[in-house]
Amino acid sequence: MTIYLIRRLLLGFVTLVVVTAIVYALIRHMPGTPLTMAAENMDPSRKISDEDYALMKKAYGLDKDWYVAYFYWIGNVARGDLGASFRERKPVAGVILQRVGPTLLLSGLSIVITYIVSVPIGLYSTMRSGKLDERTTSVLLYVLYSLPTYVAALQLLVIFYLRLKGTDWQLKPGMVSDDYVDLSPVGKLQDIGAHLILPLICFTYGSLAYYSRFVKANMEEAIRQDYIRTARAKGVGPIRVLVMHAFRNTLIPFVTLVGLTLPGILSGSIILEQIFSWPGMGSLFFESLTFRDYPVIMGLVLMFTLLTLFGQLLADVLYAMVDPRVTYN
Amino acid sequence: MEVWRRYRRNFFGVAALLYVLVLSVVALLSPVIVGTKPVICRYKGQISVPALGYFYEPWEDRSTVSQELRKRYTPEKLKEKDPASWAIWPFVFQDPFRRVRENEWPGQPGNPSGGDGKPSAVNLLGTSQRGVDVFAVLVHGTRVALMVGFVSTGIAAAIGMTLGAMAGYYGGWADTLLSRMMEIMMCIPTLVLILALLAIVDRPTIWHTMVVLGVTGWTSIARLMRAEFLKLRTSEYVTAARALGAGQTRVMFRHILPNALAPVLVPISFGIASAILVENALSFLGFSSPPPSASWGTLLSAGQRNLDMWWLIVFPGAAIFLTVLAYNLIGEGLQEATDPRLREGAK
Repeated sequence: MTIYLIRRLLLGFVTLVVVTAIVYALIRHMPGTPLTMAAENMDPSRKISDEDYALMKKAYGLDKDWYVAYFYWIGNVARGDLGASFRERKPVAGVILQRVGPTLLLSGLSIVITYIVSVPIGLYSTMRSGKLDERTTSVLLYVLYSLPTYVAALQLLVIFYLRLKGTDWQLKPGMVSDDYVDLSPVGKLQDIGAHLILPLICFTYGSLAYYSRFVKANMEEAIRQDYIRTARAKGVGPIRVLVMHAFRNTLIPFVTLVGLTLPGILSGSIILEQIFSWPGMGSLFFESLTFRDYPVIMGLVLMFTLLTLFGQLLADVLYAMVDPRVTYN
Repeated sequence: MEVWRRYRRNFFGVAALLYVLVLSVVALLSPVIVGTKPVICRYKGQISVPALGYFYEPWEDRSTVSQELRKRYTPEKLKEKDPASWAIWPFVFQDPFRRVRENEWPGQPGNPSGGDGKPSAVNLLGTSQRGVDVFAVLVHGTRVALMVGFVSTGIAAAIGMTLGAMAGYYGGWADTLLSRMMEIMMCIPTLVLILALLAIVDRPTIWHTMVVLGVTGWTSIARLMRAEFLKLRTSEYVTAARALGAGQTRVMFRHILPNALAPVLVPISFGIASAILVENALSFLGFSSPPPSASWGTLLSAGQRNLDMWWLIVFPGAAIFLTVLAYNLIGEGLQEATDPRLREGAK
């Protein structure tokens, strides 16, 4: 196990270096630099002189080739320095940390709801397999699963923002209202809650459908096993068989899902955050990309890669822990 | 075929297949259904098909009629310049790229623009902010959607199947290399990869988008192909073929590949769904391909900026949703038809 872990960590390190190098090369080859992007938005009368431009270029390391600049970047990262954002002129770590909260609020709540709702749906579907209500639920879940989030998000906005305009039920994009600062603590909570509902629905329904189907598919396989027949034969009640005998044995594939969801918790969603003006990681990513804010993009990619690799490792290790048949020797 | 026989029993799968078929017909006939270019016309003794310009502009350029009318055809102009001319027009006189003005078609009012473009008898599904007919964009958009699905997934399938087959068949370092590559692809955020690759091209067209989607979307196909080859490599009939003296290429292409094809259709079908989804998401985010290409996502993004024009959201949204759903259902049906575990359960 120890040797396996060391091997995986070494491999993961190589992957990390390759991924960051590829992304660095890609973003450096995109047309425009942070300086030109900033200049576009600037007052033409205050154009930067060519000398100043060259100086700034040098200060930001844009005069070097990408691979040289990449070595500087990775050297700084090794010393714990992610650099500073071009756009906000603040350390990258701080810029990212600012956006973690909103994204975590959405994805955390979304995961909790998904688990709480999808397991009962999955179990119920297994119990009623083939019956009319099960077929209907399954079709509905499939439809939800195929519904693109941006389509759903826009439809919801049309209904709740536009149709309900002027009523108390109108829900607005953004995370807080304009008068947020003046509200009481309870009012603040209510305000965020009201803004949270629509993005939360869009964030959740897809994974809800996916997980329910996942639970159902695993259960279908489990209830065909011999030990289930044995349990039924010795007189265990139907619900007890389903939950204690079958469901417990379907938990192993769940472990791999945990590993896969880990990066999703912090990556946010570019499109949803864009539509709902949610100040999370996804919109930070999009803004940094359009502004060519290299240090922030690299910081985000570094974080995302680490999470993905760690999630995979975690899933594999957990798998070996919960399933005694799996060993890595 | 065995797989088709089982697939046929799946009601939703067959319905989805029919839907895609209808969509393909709509895509092929889009200039006949709606357009401002005559389907066939005779002008100064020359027969031409200006409607082909919707597929590929140079096909339209050569004819006398398009040169003399500068690609703006109206029945009146045709008669005026050549009284002996005749033309067969599309069913609906609307254009997916520009606003149709008053009396271009005799008696038809000009398209309203801005918030006035509600669905009406002239503009069945309303008009966009700029006065472009939504129905026309939707009909011509099927061409883009289907093309994006097929071309990008075709590229992805070519890459994924080759790499997966080699990794599964040769094993060893080829296999290690592929799994490293797939891990790297998994770690790079897809949208970054796509946006960065698209940004490198100076003026991206829909074709660039398709290539980029293909180059980034091959991993799931490779994974399945590898598993199939790994499984079939040691099967008895392959050993028999090898014993009879079949070379490596022959074993790979003649013996293993045909048996691995049906399962690989599953990720291909899901891949088409996700390619359509991502292309429209890109158009929605404003990385739309310039005309002449009408993408459903472009309408959605216009709808986001003008939420009270609900018809810009509801109709293209439904089109994207139904198409994605159809490909997912086909993939699901194929999965059920090819998965041996589910097969036993159906008995």
